Amino acid sequence: MNRHIKKISVFLFLFSICFSLSGIRVSEASETAVYRLKWLFNASVIGDIYADVHGHFKARGLDVTVKEGGPERDAIRELELGYAAFGVASADQVIRALAKGSPVVVIAQLFQINPLQWIYRSENLDVTRVEDLKGKVVGITFGGNDETIMRTLMAKAGLTEKDISVFSVRYDYTPFYQKRVDVWPVYRNSQAPILEKKLGDLGESVAYFNPAAHGVKFVANSVVTSKRMMEEQADVVKNFTSALLQGWEEALELENEEDVLKTLRQFDKDTPPDIMRKQLVITRSLIKPFKDTRIGMIDLEAWQQTEKIMLEQNQIPSPVAVEKVIRKPF
Amino acid sequence: MLHRRIYQFFIIYLLGLLVLFSVKYLLDLSDYVIPGLEDLAQTFRTVFLRYVSDVVDTISVAVIGQVISVFMAIVVGVLGRQTTWFGSFIKVAAYNVQAYPIVAIAPIIFILFGDGFLSRLLIAAMICYFPILLSVISIMSEPVHDIEHFYRVTGRMRWQLEVKIRAFENLNKLTTVISGSATLAMAGTIVAEFIAANAGIGYSIRIALYQSDLAKILTALFLIGITLSVYQGLLEIAGYLVKKGWASH
Repeated sequence: MNRHIKKISVFLFLFSICFSLSGIRVSEASETAVYRLKWLFNASVIGDIYADVHGHFKARGLDVTVKEGGPERDAIRELELGYAAFGVASADQVIRALAKGSPVVVIAQLFQINPLQWIYRSENLDVTRVEDLKGKVVGITFGGNDETIMRTLMAKAGLTEKDISVFSVRYDYTPFYQKRVDVWPVYRNSQAPILEKKLGDLGESVAYFNPAAHGVKFVANSVVTSKRMMEEQADVVKNFTSALLQGWEEALELENEEDVLKTLRQFDKDTPPDIMRKQLVITRSLIKPFKDTRIGMIDLEAWQQTEKIMLEQNQIPSPVAVEKVIRKPF
Repeated sequence: MLHRRIYQFFIIYLLGLLVLFSVKYLLDLSDYVIPGLEDLAQTFRTVFLRYVSDVVDTISVAVIGQVISVFMAIVVGVLGRQTTWFGSFIKVAAYNVQAYPIVAIAPIIFILFGDGFLSRLLIAAMICYFPILLSVISIMSEPVHDIEHFYRVTGRMRWQLEVKIRAFENLNKLTTVISGSATLAMAGTIVAEFIAANAGIGYSIRIALYQSDLAKILTALFLIGITLSVYQGLLEIAGYLVKKGWASH
């Protein structure tokens, strides 16, 4: 009996290992590829969806499956495990992964301005300088990007934790609605329009505190792939990047707006149309802030600043030379 | 009893690590996907004291939640043991509430009780209360015919005696249920901390997840496991002593 159990255990273990290995082979050997997003389907991933729905990948001989992300998903891990060939990751994820020896490569930077900002009620508060936060209750997600960004802002302004009251942010906005917190971190192009509308309905107006306006450029979502993919299937990477960026360019064209919203509604069925339109407009301003901005361009200085911030805050033990794994898309 | 629990946990944890490391080295994965031994040891040394304090915080809430749950489940289970309308109503309520995902109920709890100790306690109690209640009802509604028959025919049966007989005859089951519910109470507290609290090991795991730090998570899992094994072992010893005490009367 025991021998049978042992045999079955060994078989199951070996089977699971083989299954994992075969996943890598399938994903990287053919021109089918999984593209793992960072977050759920909404306006912030419209270019990714648009490229897929409008056949840009297929036109370049690629069969790409665009998969939703979420809090429990990590594209970089999936790249290494062979579950995905491409993915979206934030700069801090990339830098952390590099610090732990992950062979990740950045092939495009989607957001030129980080959508992570702080919302506040503009009737009672006007945050034009970081020092204006003195004595205020500031929402921070401990362990999140916003904590790193806020700590950097405070250090730059010479503020310490004693100068503000930190409120530990959770996933629902009740403390902000209840006015227990003065400034609350939000993703400007997804959560902010919803909050803005809810507060607007109550006659309250809001404003945003944007860290980039105060000299802290912390890079957000970028497209990544594995070093192996880059070396062994450079053509696939090139075709994928071109198709993806074409999708983004077209999705953010003003003249395509109605078609884009129609496409988005197929994937995001819960967001009301007026909110969705606002999310799209804001996404456009974060990805293509200027008319001449080339979508996907790498802001190397911002990447280096992100690494420096993480190093200063002991989030990585030593420099990772992030510039070495960045491949400019143009 | 206690030492068996602990070494069994060590075996399980080490087997888990062995599987992870086998996958890591077979697939040549970086420390980002699965931390190496050195990374794990370094993290263990760095966060050990802080995480021990977090686990102690969590287990304190879990124990209080479990005590409340056991007490309430016994009271309600004894009341609802008969096949009356009230008994069936309690069962239906218990089955329904068990089916609700706690993450959906949590925002209501946080609105009512804030995100401090009370919310953690309530969620811990909610998660472990209903399974205990159902077990208590099932035990208490099952007559022990051989013994109860004598008292019934002699007209000496009272509800207190009925409860005592059924509890004594099912003491092993009750001990197992109470010991098992420790896991649920701990899981409930960790879920509550993960969702919203500002303290406890669930909160630390949430931060580690934000930072994609599996070494911290493995350290937390080790401490949760060892603490729970000790606690469950102690509960089993307590159950054994209670049974021994009852038997000697």
